[in-house]
Amino acid sequence: MISARTLRDPTMLRIGSVVAVLVLWEVLGRLDPIVASYPTAIVAAFVELAFVDNTLWPAFATTLQGLVVGFAISSVLGVAIGFAMGRIRLVDLILDPYVSALYATPRIALVPLLVLWVGIDFELRVTIVVLSSIFPIIINTYIGAKSVDRELLDTGRAFAANGWQMLTTVVVPASIPYLFAGLRIGVARALVGIIVAEMTAAVTGTGQLIIQYGRFFQTDKLFVPVIILGLFSIVLAEVVYFLQRRATPWANVERIR
Amino acid sequence: MLDIQHVSKSFGRVAQPVLDDFSLTAAEGEFVSLIGPSGCGKTTLLRIVAGLLPATSGDVAVAGVPSVGPSRDKAVVFQHFNLFPWRTTLANAAYGLEIQKVPKREREERAMRWLRMLGLEKYAHHYPGEISGGMRQRVGIARALAIEPKLLLMDEPFGALDALTREHLQGELQKIAEQTSLTILFVTHSIDEAVYLSDRIVVMGTHPGRIIREFAVDLRRPRYDYNFRAEPEYAQIRGEIWGMLERELAEDEERSDAAEDTTPMETPA
Repeated sequence: MISARTLRDPTMLRIGSVVAVLVLWEVLGRLDPIVASYPTAIVAAFVELAFVDNTLWPAFATTLQGLVVGFAISSVLGVAIGFAMGRIRLVDLILDPYVSALYATPRIALVPLLVLWVGIDFELRVTIVVLSSIFPIIINTYIGAKSVDRELLDTGRAFAANGWQMLTTVVVPASIPYLFAGLRIGVARALVGIIVAEMTAAVTGTGQLIIQYGRFFQTDKLFVPVIILGLFSIVLAEVVYFLQRRATPWANVERIR
Repeated sequence: MLDIQHVSKSFGRVAQPVLDDFSLTAAEGEFVSLIGPSGCGKTTLLRIVAGLLPATSGDVAVAGVPSVGPSRDKAVVFQHFNLFPWRTTLANAAYGLEIQKVPKREREERAMRWLRMLGLEKYAHHYPGEISGGMRQRVGIARALAIEPKLLLMDEPFGALDALTREHLQGELQKIAEQTSLTILFVTHSIDEAVYLSDRIVVMGTHPGRIIREFAVDLRRPRYDYNFRAEPEYAQIRGEIWGMLERELAEDEERSDAAEDTTPMETPA
């Protein structure tokens, strides 16, 4: 029986649920380790990959490097293009067809072409990260720039702000929540993009690690990079969320009276 | 100080102008209110004077200088305060000075002076989301006054506030008007507010927006020191304006009925 108290403080329930699944996995996994492996084997594989034969971290570092460089490019470029399209009609008209078309195309379909252009190494990672993440950033920034409260625009104009001042004192600050929505989606897409690119084209990186272990039926080892990536994407989302709170200290204030 | 000559405004292809041949002058230090039913173009006129909207024809001059776009000698207080939610009280109040590239220390000192005058110094580092509506509009007023304009344009500034806060701010505005030589153009739909604050009240009518009549308000100042509503002059002006607005509304209905009557039938009988 679940008592009312348990429901009010669900921590125990959550821990219980996780433990139950782990135990069940341990028991069932041992029946055929190649199909699903089991938690203790995965922990052992993690220790081996991470601290004994040192294959996990170099692969992860390779992925991380491509992700960081690509996402930095895509943030700066995406925000700039988004604002330019949102504020300058000519830029909007010129770029809109490409942004719309590329946003709709599954970027992964471009991997074989990109291999021909930039090879299978660092440049491929950066390119696929940029292509995966820049469009949500552009589009969200664009929407932000377009949906600035008209009354606030009037206010800036009434105080005789020039074009640049309108951008820096009204449009950009008003768009920050949209901009971060774009960055949040973008970072998740970037991670998916780089892993798929590594799985399909690269010979190194976390994605390639997963492919190799899969190919040799090393299911316990296969789970290690998968779990690391899962945890990593949670960390990434938290980092973006943290930056957003730092950038918008006014967003969560309590009214005094 | 303010000279509005033959200003007309039409929107798009609508035949009837929102404002038709509107002329008004205000002397330095004068408090002029525009009052009228919705659709009389009073806010449109204010936006034209502010430089936020181009007039279709006519001229506006401030202190003898033709005034087209926004400029430093005019400041606007908006109905919905329009504070920047990402700026603190102090940064909002200093906004106009920042746009004028006044150095940070100086602009904060100047803004702070007005915040102190409006009783906001304790809230200088609060965000608009943290303070009440009345306080927000005080910030809006401080922001306008901080640039030391010659002309203050107020668009129903107390319309979104509760009655008590409204009266309190009306009193504060009077004190500010006394202490400065500001010329104030004040849009309102409250007769009471117009009489309380103004030297002159301009009553406007609709379709097209135009001046029906001007009233001088000679009630002695300061008016927050006594019950001005008990004065016979108050009742008289109030009654006259009220009657005038009622007649205008009735006539406007007749005019629009007449306009419908002359609309040609689509299918001939």
